[in-house]
Parts: sequence; C-alpha cells; structure tokens
Amino acid sequence: MNMMAVSLTAPMNAPLSGRAIHTATPVPAGRLPSVTLRAQLLWLARVRVLWLLAGFAGIALVALLRIASLGFAGTAPQRTSLEEALLPPRGEITDRNGAPLARAFPAYSLWFEPSAMGDSGSPLVHAPQEVARQLKAIFPDIDEARMAKRLASGKAGYLRRRILPEEANKVFALGEVALEIPRETDRYYPQGSLAAHVLGYVVEDKGGETGMEQVLDARLKNAELRTQPVALSIDVRVQGALEDELRRGMLATNAIGAAGIVLDVDTGEVMAMASLPDFDPNVAGASGPVNVFNRATNGVFEMGSTFKPLTVAAAIDAGVVRDLSKRWDASPVSVGKRSIKDSHNMGASLNVPEALIHSSNTVTARVGDALGATKLRQTMVDLGMDRRPIIELPARGRPIWQAGPWSRVTNMTVAFGHGLAVTPLHLASAYAAMVNGGTWRPATLMKLAPADVPRGHRVFKESTSSRMRQMLRMISLYGTGRSADAPGYRVGGKTGSAEKAGVGGYNKTKVVSSFAAAFPMDAPRYVVVVLLDEPKGTLASSFQRTAAFTSAPIVGKLVPRIGPMLGVQPDDTRDVDISDLRYLVDKGGK
Amino acid sequence: MMNSSQARSLGWAAVLAICLAVVTVLSFKVHAVKSEVLLAERQLISLEREKLLLETEFETRASQRQLAEWNQVEFGYDAPRAGQFLDGERQLASLGEVRGPDAPNPIRLARADIGETAAGEAESDAAMRSPVSGAKVTLASAGTEKGAGAVFTQAFGDFLIEASPIRPAKAETPRVAKALAAKGLGE
Repeated sequence: MNMMAVSLTAPMNAPLSGRAIHTATPVPAGRLPSVTLRAQLLWLARVRVLWLLAGFAGIALVALLRIASLGFAGTAPQRTSLEEALLPPRGEITDRNGAPLARAFPAYSLWFEPSAMGDSGSPLVHAPQEVARQLKAIFPDIDEARMAKRLASGKAGYLRRRILPEEANKVFALGEVALEIPRETDRYYPQGSLAAHVLGYVVEDKGGETGMEQVLDARLKNAELRTQPVALSIDVRVQGALEDELRRGMLATNAIGAAGIVLDVDTGEVMAMASLPDFDPNVAGASGPVNVFNRATNGVFEMGSTFKPLTVAAAIDAGVVRDLSKRWDASPVSVGKRSIKDSHNMGASLNVPEALIHSSNTVTARVGDALGATKLRQTMVDLGMDRRPIIELPARGRPIWQAGPWSRVTNMTVAFGHGLAVTPLHLASAYAAMVNGGTWRPATLMKLAPADVPRGHRVFKESTSSRMRQMLRMISLYGTGRSADAPGYRVGGKTGSAEKAGVGGYNKTKVVSSFAAAFPMDAPRYVVVVLLDEPKGTLASSFQRTAAFTSAPIVGKLVPRIGPMLGVQPDDTRDVDISDLRYLVDKGGK
Repeated sequence: MMNSSQARSLGWAAVLAICLAVVTVLSFKVHAVKSEVLLAERQLISLEREKLLLETEFETRASQRQLAEWNQVEFGYDAPRAGQFLDGERQLASLGEVRGPDAPNPIRLARADIGETAAGEAESDAAMRSPVSGAKVTLASAGTEKGAGAVFTQAFGDFLIEASPIRPAKAETPRVAKALAAKGLGE
C-alpha cells in the first residue's frame, strides 16, 4: 500500500516541479516553502490513510479472533444422526412373531415452569384461577382450587405426569408459556397386563424388575444391542387365548388363582405362560407391584394324580411293568402308620391303563413300590424335580423335595403325586420329556433358532414314550380327562386334584386342581399345563372341585383356539393307534 | 496496446476470478444440499416417531384382550373345526371331481325363476331395472356403440338428478327435461 502511494504521487510531482522551474525564473526562492508544504500535506494524508487502514485491520483481526475462539470453545449446534435420534433409550421386547410386547414410547407430561416468561413479572398471562379453570376443562379430574393455588405459588414442577397428545394440543392452545409439555420416554406395554409375569416391569431410574425386563436389563440398555428388538419365545395370540380361558375358568370356579403353560415339546420354548391374578406392568413401576407372585414358575404345589403317568412311565422304562394286562390289587394299602386309599371303589383289581383312567392311588402306589424308591427318585432327579425349574425368570420356586434316600412311604406317596411339591413348569417339562420320545430339555423364554435347541438328556426310552402317548390319549377318551378332549386335536392328558397341605395335615376343602396334557397325541407338539388354586364347587363346575370339572374343560376350550395358530390342524381321521390297548379298558359296553 | 505477457497475466487473473466464482457458487450449493439433507433427516425422524406412535396405538387398541372381548360380545367367532380344514391339494381336488357316467344329477339350490320374462328377451339379455323408478337400466357393455359417458348418463342420469339436491339445468336427460317442462306448463 505504501509503495502504491509513493508510485501514485511520483507522476503528479513531475509536472509540478516542471512548472516550478518554468515560473521560478523571476523569484526562485519565494516558491520553495509552498512546495515543501504540499509535500508535508501529502505525507500527512498518507499517514492518516495508513492509520485508518491499520484501524480496520485491527478490527478485522479482533473479529477473526472472536470467530476462531467461538469456533473452538463455543458449543456446537446439536446435530444428531438418524440412527442416534431413533435409538430407543431401552430396547424393544417382541414376541416370537415380532409383535411388540414392551417398547419405548414417547409420552407427554405437563410441567409448570414459572421462569419461562423470562421477566420478573407474573409467570402466567392470565390469572392462576382462570388458567386452573381452563385446565379443569381439559382434565376433568383435577381439583380446580388446588391447581390455582399450585399455579399461584410459582414453584416449578409436574402438574401432570402423563397426558395424551390431544390433551397436549389443548394445553398448547391455551397460550401459556409457563405450561410446558416436555416429551419423555415411557416403557409401554401395548398388550396391557398380557404376559405381565413373563415381562415384568420397569421402575424409572432403576431398571427392570421381575420377569424378562430384569433378566435382559443389561442387554436392553446396551447402546450397540438395543436397536435390535429381543424376541421372546412367547406367541402373543396363544398367550391371549391362554389368559382368556384361564381367567374364565378361574372366575367360573371361584378359584383364588390360576396358572397355565404352553410348552413346545421338542425345543423347550415356552409358547405362553400365565399366572392369575396378574398386574398391569404399565403402572406397576410407578404405583408399586401387586400380584407379582408367579404361580407358574414360583408357586410349588403337590400335583397329585398328574404325577401318576410319570410313575407308570418310570416303571415301564425299568421293566417293572411289562404286561399292561396284568391286574394289580386295588385294595387300600397300609404303609407304616398311613393308609393309602382310592377316592371311590373301582373294583378289587385294575390293570395299569385302568388305574390311570380311573386315577387309582392304590395301584399307582403299588407300582411305585414295585419299582423301588431308588429308581423313582432317580427318574424324578432326571426330570429336574429336585431343583428350581430351569428358565430365565428370576422367580423360580424351590421344590419341596425329600432330602436323602426315600423311605417306602415317601416313595409310595410320591408315586401318586403327594409328598413332593413342584412348580407347574416342572410338570410341563416332565410331560414334554414323557411324550416327545423321552428327552428332557430345559424350558426357555427366548426364541430359539433350530441350531440352538439344546440336546437335552434322555429320561425315558422311545418305546416307553410311545406307550405313554397311547395311555394319555386313553385317559381323555375313557377316563377323567374327557372334558379336555377337543374334537380333532387328539388331546391326551391327566387330571390331578390334590388337597392343599396346611397346618396339621391336608385341608379337605382346599384343593389344587391341575390338568397336564399334550396334543396332538399321534405326534406331540405342545404340552399344556393348567392349574387352578382352590377352585370351589360352583354351578359352572357342576358343584365339583376335582380337575375333571374345573381345569380339564379349560384345556378342552383352549386347545381348539391355539391349535391352528401353532400349526396343528384338527383332523377327525387321525389319532394315535390304541388298538392294542383298547380291549383292556373298553369292555365292549360303549 | 498490451504486450503478450500482460495479456497472459490478465488471462490468468480472469481464469482465477472465474474459478473463485465457481468455487463460491459450488460451496453455496453444497451447503444448500447439506441443509436439505439435514431437513430431510429431521423429517424422517419425526415420521419414524409418528409411525411408532400410530403403530403402538393400533397395537393397544387391538390388544389380545380387547379382541377377545369384542369377539365375545359382538362377533362370536368359534375356533375352526376339523371339517373346515383341507389337508393339501389332493383333498381340494377331490371336491371338484368329474361326475361319473351314471351319477345322478346334482341337486341345485337357489334357482332363479325366469318364467315371467318377456318372450322377446333372451335370458341373458334381461334388462336390469332401477329399484326406484322401475325403469329399464342399460349398463355399459362390450356391444354398446355409445360412449361410456352417454351410457352412464342414460342409465343413472335420472337417478342421480333425483337424488341430488342440486339440479343444474344442463345435467337433465331429455326425458326428465320433458317431464319438468310438462310440470312447468301445468302450474
């Protein structure tokens, strides 16, 4: 710039100095001061321009420094990527077909923020009473006077924890800046109380409680894994049908509780699991849980007669029962101080299929006795009856298991399902092993890929399993399980009614009625276990408390509902072949 | 007159200026596209959230329990029975079996009575009649020479005009126009 100024002034000086020479002839000395003055003035002007430039440069430098400092130190505008913005704060849980069971759900709340107006005046545009009146019009359940006082107090806080989107719009339309509608994320269960015991619930700022919410807590919170939903083994349609029928059965018999399990016999996947009464996981986290006791995995019950097929299977497997037409003494057995009797007289002697069909305590006890305590105990251990059930849930009941070697009395009582209390899940897994060809597998609530199905271990022989299929089918054709025989579905199963053990022996009026079944019996796919806790004799159950009138009809109504969903078609032309055993029970009368 | 080196440097300067201008324009364009992408992303996020909201609402309203209650109160559907299933193509094919040589005639139900049809009209050509006026209605068919619009007007014009509260004068078919004219004369 300086150089330019110099070069610009140079040609201007040339004519000036020329003129000075030309006119300087008369008075050469008098002109010189004005020339120097001009040069001085020019110099002054140049310096001023330079100062001005320096000033501009300084300002520009300060501005640049400010921009740079802002760029380095200032807060950058929030820019979240697509994935980050859509990442749920807690992973989704779905059923085996992808139907959501628990998900993060955007919700609105109503927050009062007195400082929102940003001045020292009133936080509200209208009077607090007026705003309270308007809020009352939107939320009819609020106390108007209390709300007015709350707004007048000027303290920040929630006015309402959860509001609906349309309510949020109405609040927004009031035009009050201090009424904020922050968006929060809730754990939401679209199916309500369905599968509540399987899912559990979430306590805010704490995490999952009971159920799979607790089991999968780390997985659901993990930022890398929570984009992918976790698929449970539950089928929501089957679960819905199970709970519906179970609830109806429970209410019809006035029972205090009920449990139900549908289990895949070949994989151990739990298709549905219900425990009633249940709770709503949507509110359990905030209001504190009630009815969290899971009867299906945590409640231990003496199952009664549903154990009889297991005893018979163990006896057939050990070669103790070879000839099914052999007649066993059916008179009362006295063992030590106890006497084992039947509920009613069934004749002097019975063969094994008849004993199962009529549910004879005496014959099963004698079969157990012939088998011996060691072998029956070993079978029960192999079926996992001596430890908590194997499933992911944290609530697993410890069976009431006689420690040490069993006495003869214990052996004979366990043979017909007493003296050993297990959970319904134990029973379902044992039945699955009995009908699937003899392999016991642990139950699971996670959806399994075919390659992940556990190998399990063998408890019964293949031949024993096929015999048991025949006999279970015969119980529902000729015996106590007739009300469970859904036409076309080839249901086979055993009833069980056990008196509840209380203080000072068994309680005559309180029973646990259960039904353990499998279908279709010609190629078993699913085991269904239904249990009613303390059913009463009502009109619906023909004033009976036994399983044939209380829990078996539930299975009879449930199986046709879930069969087609689970890929089991009803077929009147197919059934398990029982022609070699029919003559033992069917005397041609029917 | 500029010499060649001056011309060259002027040319370079011009090229530089053009490049600078192009870079500036391009960077503006890039920023514009970037902000468009950002906006689109935001829109995607809000749409995804809305989808989640609607899907969840649907799941809630159609929850298993609600469906069971509706079925019990309103629909009363039962579980399907064995007779309602087909066991593969073979069973399906067996339903459409060809009639044997000496099989009896199949029983036919719900046969239409065509005895009163006018003698001149073949069974297939029986005209459809308007349920309101009883006038014959001709629907568009492959054999019709007129345009579809004309056929439609002929078939449903009267019908629509009678039903409509608005009666524009031009939409009348000749028959109705005549009737209206007659009415107008009488009054």
